[in-house]
Amino acid sequence: MSGVTGIKRQGSAALVGYYTGWVVLAITLLMAVPLLTSLLLREWSAALDFVIGMSVSMLVSCLLIACGRAARRRGAQLDWKSGFAVAALSWLVLMVLCAIPYRLSGHCQSFLDGCFDVMSGFTTTGLVLTQDLDHLSEGLNMWRHMLTFIGGQGMVVLALGFLGRHTSGAYQMYCGEGKDVKLLPNVKNTARIIWRISMVYLLAGTAALFVCGLFIGLPPLQAFLHGLYIFESSWSTGGFAPNTQNMMFYHSFAYELITMVIFILGSLNFGLHYAVWQGKRVEMAKNIEVQSFVITSFLACALAAAKLSQLGVYTNAVSVFRRVVYNVLSAHTTTGFGNVYARQFANEWGDFGILVMTIAMLIGGSACSTAGGFKGLRVGIVFRGLVADVRRVLSPERCVHIEKYHHIQDCVLDDAAVRSSGLIILCYTALFAVTTLLGVWYGYPLAQSAFEAASATGNVGLSIGVTQVSTPALLKVQYILAMYLGRLEFLSVFALIGYVIGGVKKTCARH
Amino acid sequence: MCKTLKLCVLTAALAAVLAGLAAAADVTAVNELVDRSLQWNGKTVAIEGEAIGEMLPRGNYAWVNVNDGTNAIGVWMPLADAKKISVYGDYHHTGDTLRVTGTFSRDCAEHGGDVDIHSDSVQIVKTGGAVGHPVSGGKKAAAAGLSAAALLAALFCFGPRAKRR
Ligand SMILES: [Zn+2]
Repeated sequence: MSGVTGIKRQGSAALVGYYTGWVVLAITLLMAVPLLTSLLLREWSAALDFVIGMSVSMLVSCLLIACGRAARRRGAQLDWKSGFAVAALSWLVLMVLCAIPYRLSGHCQSFLDGCFDVMSGFTTTGLVLTQDLDHLSEGLNMWRHMLTFIGGQGMVVLALGFLGRHTSGAYQMYCGEGKDVKLLPNVKNTARIIWRISMVYLLAGTAALFVCGLFIGLPPLQAFLHGLYIFESSWSTGGFAPNTQNMMFYHSFAYELITMVIFILGSLNFGLHYAVWQGKRVEMAKNIEVQSFVITSFLACALAAAKLSQLGVYTNAVSVFRRVVYNVLSAHTTTGFGNVYARQFANEWGDFGILVMTIAMLIGGSACSTAGGFKGLRVGIVFRGLVADVRRVLSPERCVHIEKYHHIQDCVLDDAAVRSSGLIILCYTALFAVTTLLGVWYGYPLAQSAFEAASATGNVGLSIGVTQVSTPALLKVQYILAMYLGRLEFLSVFALIGYVIGGVKKTCARH
Repeated sequence: MCKTLKLCVLTAALAAVLAGLAAAADVTAVNELVDRSLQWNGKTVAIEGEAIGEMLPRGNYAWVNVNDGTNAIGVWMPLADAKKISVYGDYHHTGDTLRVTGTFSRDCAEHGGDVDIHSDSVQIVKTGGAVGHPVSGGKKAAAAGLSAAALLAALFCFGPRAKRR
């Protein structure tokens, strides 16, 4: 009996490795893009960094695929847990592999910093430890922004769309990446739709930013590259930018406005985009997530703007819009573009401003989008659940009231939906609390520690100045963990941990 | 007489050195400006740093972003001054080192709340130039060895024989 399950477990572990290998292979092939960029722009040293990175990744993916092939041939199937584990494991393996060019570039002072930046990219966070961005090779810039773009759509989603010939367990892997909307009955087609939506926006958004870039005085090649990078970063609600000053480099209201439109679009559910593409315009107004986002972002902007105006931090209306509304929306959609300096939040915005930002960051964008945070859907469901409960208490006993909410279609608000949403929010809050605690342990002030923790947990990427090269290594690791757990929404990471513990137990039992 | 002359020369030299020191001390780090922006707001400051990225012209003026190693800030200067800058910093170049004197604001009313410096004077202290990125022999060897190994592995894994197995 124990022998049979042992074989089964070994088989499925090999299978997890096998599919992870395919995901790694997909990303490895994409490393050709920055390699080509470096070659075209004669960045020889950077090009070699990518050759090395690509080769190592190729070796790892071949190893994983070769080891898992036998198990697959024996007909092992991917169950729910394994599918989730694939997503969680791929992200970890890729974090290490993709950090190789970062470290070799000499712009990261340790491999940990490289891993931090890759995880920050994948999870569309946008916190940066890479130094001297102004002298970065275009190859590495391309890679940074591609990582954030791919991460937003999902690495597994990418692999499923382009490499997934064998779709056993595909849906599980897809869900493991924190996306749970089936746009089409077939997961492979769903993955393709997600990528198609993103690519269409990529063309439109890059074109808009390119034209604006030309107007603000960038030469054509730079206008194109900046346009592409900034699009990738805003659509993915990432927050990376090719220069130290982030959004402040451009000194342009128009550029900021375009990014604002893009990151708000990016923070919306792919299901919603698809519905609108199909001509269901009303979805825009009826969707519970859109309603939730509009309400919370209006409240956050109004509160922050009122307080900062009252404090006299910003005096005229244009400054209030450009500095307060922009940054609050950037925080709420979990983008993390900033057009004020990190230290200004700490020194000028005051505790109230920081608190509003922290809450907005934790709430985040929509489920099944590129954004992070609890997600508007969950906030909406829990809020409706609360209202329903209150109504139940107040109404006569025999009256059975069925609550509904609208998300792509009308859904019944049952206890299971409220509970699962509530649990995820609880997990996020716990992660946020632990991360804040660790920051305070290391001596950072509470408000700043909370801000940075919310930024990592909610995959935002605005910094108040805690994230620096000199930050204690353990705190960096905690931020990596917070970004990773926050992005994958816990479940798949728990599945992976279950796997590892199960494996350890088996090994112990055998000896 | 001789003694007086010596004293005069010494005093002059000392004064020159002190003046030089004072001028150097005048330069404020960009991070200091940002960190204590409320104190520096509206004051005339001097910064010294590398011109980076591109010049962004706006009519008779231009934005030039200056990075002094602690942080970067936008400088609003007359187009004529900006045109004197020959090299901007990027991967292939170190930009000209500028010494900018001007008014710092943390919430510039003219520029939508930008944190910027409106220049009074812009001097090019040092001309920039191309930066070489020499590739070490070790890196070349590693790249060659690893890519050969990766190719072999890929062939083994996805080659025609792998399909039949
Ligand atoms: Zn100004």
